Amino acid sequence: MQDKIDNLKEGMFKAGYICDDRTATVLYLSEALHKPILVEGPAGVGKTGVAQAFSAMKNLPLVRLQCYEGIDESKALYEWNYKRQLLHIQAVGNQNIDPREVEQDIFSEQYLLRRPLLQAISSSLPSVLLIDEIDKVDFEFEAMLLELLSEFQMSIPELGTVKAAHIPYVFLTSNATRELSEALKRRCLYLHLNFPTLALEEQILRLKVPGLTDHLAGKIATVAHRIRQVDLKKAPSIAETIDWAMAIIQLGLDDLNEAVTLQTLNVLVKHREDLEKLEGMIYARNDLSFQPRPVDNRAW
Amino acid sequence: MNFLQYLQGFFEDLRREGIPVTTSQTRDCCQALLLIDWLNPDYFYTTLYSTLIKDYSYETAFNSVYYRYFASGLAMAAGKRDLPASFAAMPRGEAAAMAPDALPIQGMASLRGGLSQSLRNPLDETLSLASLEQVQKMEALFPLISRRLAAKMIKKNRRDDNSMINYRSTMRKSMSSGGLPLNIMTVRRRREKPVIVAICDVSGSVMTFSCFALAMLASMQRFMRQLRSFGFIEEVDEITPWLNSGDPLTLRTTVLRKARVISSRGYTNYGNTFTSFIKRYSGALNHKTTVLIFGDARNNWFNDEIQALQQIKALARKIYWFNPEPESNWGQGDSRMLVYARYCQAAFSCPTLNSLQEAIGKL
Repeated sequence: MQDKIDNLKEGMFKAGYICDDRTATVLYLSEALHKPILVEGPAGVGKTGVAQAFSAMKNLPLVRLQCYEGIDESKALYEWNYKRQLLHIQAVGNQNIDPREVEQDIFSEQYLLRRPLLQAISSSLPSVLLIDEIDKVDFEFEAMLLELLSEFQMSIPELGTVKAAHIPYVFLTSNATRELSEALKRRCLYLHLNFPTLALEEQILRLKVPGLTDHLAGKIATVAHRIRQVDLKKAPSIAETIDWAMAIIQLGLDDLNEAVTLQTLNVLVKHREDLEKLEGMIYARNDLSFQPRPVDNRAW
Repeated sequence: MNFLQYLQGFFEDLRREGIPVTTSQTRDCCQALLLIDWLNPDYFYTTLYSTLIKDYSYETAFNSVYYRYFASGLAMAAGKRDLPASFAAMPRGEAAAMAPDALPIQGMASLRGGLSQSLRNPLDETLSLASLEQVQKMEALFPLISRRLAAKMIKKNRRDDNSMINYRSTMRKSMSSGGLPLNIMTVRRRREKPVIVAICDVSGSVMTFSCFALAMLASMQRFMRQLRSFGFIEEVDEITPWLNSGDPLTLRTTVLRKARVISSRGYTNYGNTFTSFIKRYSGALNHKTTVLIFGDARNNWFNDEIQALQQIKALARKIYWFNPEPESNWGQGDSRMLVYARYCQAAFSCPTLNSLQEAIGKL
């Protein structure tokens, strides 16, 4: 089992995602127990990235359902292509054709618009299903999803029941903007991602930004880490740290100091108030740790 | 004691801390444990964590129980020794099937014994009784709450804008497809944006409550343009500009330092607050404004000045009152809540952070 987890880690690393032990364990368990993973955590810590890397590692298609306010079955499961149906009816309207035949025609596969959930279930290959920002949907939709995730089949009244040939790997991500129902949470394994530790972020930077020196990676990670501890409207995400490192490299700079930070801060922080706050801190010689110092980030 | 019993004790202790651990979760946990190497503490911890808790806010409680049970390392060694006897010797599938039945679930019984005070979900902690440590826990969870609140408000603003068909524009659109209504156009109803005036008691008697109420207002201010906040003890003053950080513990001190909320005596005076609010800020009220009042309505036997509240009610659209005291205490002693409540659209009792969040979300 140890080597399986190590394999997972290595595979994910090759797919461009660095797993810590916890993430790898949860991935391993979800595979072994055939359970969906519910990924929570602040914006920009790589919740979606886990699923993407996992599908890349397994070399399976990633089917993504982006949830939003007011999403319904017709956008998530399937929908009849109403426009084409209407046109078809018009076209045959003047000819003498058996109405039953028309009916069969317009409710056949070719008028069916497959939305992500149906795609994931009906595909002949196993797939990775990513349901993004599940906390945005309303309760009715969640209940429908719940049924789907336990049965992996759905019925289309006009066509019959579609049952999954392979159970897809399911990832649900949430920003915890509302409580999900107990029933849904119970079905899933829970993975809480937080901002990475200093060492991990350094590693991520080195993986993602070619040409970055170890020294610079360390400094960038330290400053990003420190900035996240300031009370900001939005803490810089990992993606933004990577962008920042890229920007610094593009500018041909090889060290990080106050001046460079001031010049490039807008890559890292996007709100005007946040920018002003940080600039103020830099001018005031407030410690943003341009000197590395140890930060303990363990759970307990 | 074999390991299963030990594990069962662990589950029950989790339940005692208020973490909802269901039977199916314990079953998943046992199944998962069969799959991993117990000697690696990271794997072991993650397995228990990911199968047993499904909400980040329970992590603190979970960690403390976990630490009690497993972090010593001794326990795990003991578990390893007992494992062959209990279920590792069985074929995998069978063991997995047996495991749940082997666990007598008595969580409900132990729940009835009462939750241990210090480790309940911090969001359900009574604000007025909370210790500093509990307040800090709440503070840690506060961003979660404000995010939920924000989501709820945004959702409210977006709801019911589908429904009605706009026949005129549907017809017009259908011209291009030879009279076939391919695109159905709907009417978008425009919703009026709420204008909120919040009046918050910042006196010492409701300290914790007002800390969090202010923080809640500060976070609401971030996504609502039209929100003005006022603080009072015996005098009322606008505090909108000071509510710029989301840190519950510093906001109140900032407000006390910057705003003029005390005139001569320093006792909470609701009557005077309402009168001077009408005198100085009645311009902030119009038929669109909703007034939110945060406070315990304990007036220190000063004059109620009902007519001032009545005037506010007449000028504004609605008044909502959020009171940190349980409803049974309303009207007791110098609490004038029952009198004031008559002029409010609704008055909510919010002794805990969860209830405060829920009440605000209901608006």
